[in-house]
Amino acid sequence: MTSAIRLVFSNPKYLILSITIFSTMLVGLLILSEYIFLEPYVVSHIPSGTEFGFVLIVTISALSALVLPMNIFRINILKKSKQKMGGGVFGSIIGAAAGACSCGPIGFAVISTFGSVGATATAFLTNYEIPIRIIAIGILAITYFTTVRSLKIECKFDPNS
Amino acid sequence: MNKIGVIIGVIVIAIIAGAVASLSSSTSETMNLDMERSHGTISTAMGSPILGDHSAPITIIEFGDYQCHQCYNWFHNTKPAIFEDYIATGKANFVFVDMAFLGRDSPKAAQATYCAEEQEMYWEYHDMLYTLQEDKIDGGWANSERLKAIALDLGLDSDLFEGCLDSGKYSKRVQYNTQQARDHNVRGTPNFIVVGPDGQQQLGGAQPFSVFKQVLDKMI
Repeated sequence: MTSAIRLVFSNPKYLILSITIFSTMLVGLLILSEYIFLEPYVVSHIPSGTEFGFVLIVTISALSALVLPMNIFRINILKKSKQKMGGGVFGSIIGAAAGACSCGPIGFAVISTFGSVGATATAFLTNYEIPIRIIAIGILAITYFTTVRSLKIECKFDPNS
Repeated sequence: MNKIGVIIGVIVIAIIAGAVASLSSSTSETMNLDMERSHGTISTAMGSPILGDHSAPITIIEFGDYQCHQCYNWFHNTKPAIFEDYIATGKANFVFVDMAFLGRDSPKAAQATYCAEEQEMYWEYHDMLYTLQEDKIDGGWANSERLKAIALDLGLDSDLFEGCLDSGKYSKRVQYNTQQARDHNVRGTPNFIVVGPDGQQQLGGAQPFSVFKQVLDKMI
């Protein structure tokens, strides 16, 4: 497992991509979920009772940063199909959407634009925020393991090395 | 002659009855309302009663929804410190203006607070809603039956409260408040406008006490 990670991230291009995905997703999701505020002062805080949500955001960002570059590597280097990439992108998107549509500006915009359909969608994403994020983590974890297995077979490296 | 007298009498009674009905209705609608009340550019006439010293130099206006989780977070994590340091000490006062947009139970919950206000229990009811808030939007925790049960728990006159809530008499008041929020570019809840002697500042989201402290201390 570590061999696959070493294989991909030994290339600085994928390491930079991973860091970029992690930091962008983490900061973006923390702003949307109101763990970070930019105005009037840049400030971060974790209100009591929201610690678990914070941990899920960090986990989704970390898994996305791991899975997406590995799949891009697989497509670029091995010219393989984009099928597995879909799992990583899907997991990242639903994980991000879960917390974004609450009572914050995005939720308001969705409700204002789409009316009762938007309100229903927003309520669903808010009500099931934690389960949706856990499902997203599950999808990303499955995508990670299948990608590692594919890389082992396709690159024929020794997994114990 | 007698017939004419009876007709005139009926008309006079009808006019008097109409006037009395209209007067009593407008009295209950405008109860506790100072239609001229505004803070900065915001009309708070239809908002909550003022919490704290009415003559405090700073007013914190919260635009909120009773089903909003971030409003719940702010209520439990930030508001107690603001209350202790600024509202209880007379440095600031506080007004809640409804922005009821999240679900079908949001406007009803907001109306219920004004029904409680009729019995001078607005803030007790407001606090109770944010204490009892559950995770699910429109999950039933703020439906009419539960709102009535909360009133009963608070010792409000049930008949009066239920009559008020079922009549929907405060729906326009809640709509007006929500429109005030939209007019001031409020795009989510909670959202705050802090009005001081020299101007006003908007704060979006359930910001921590440290941010409020910096903003308020600058205005004092």
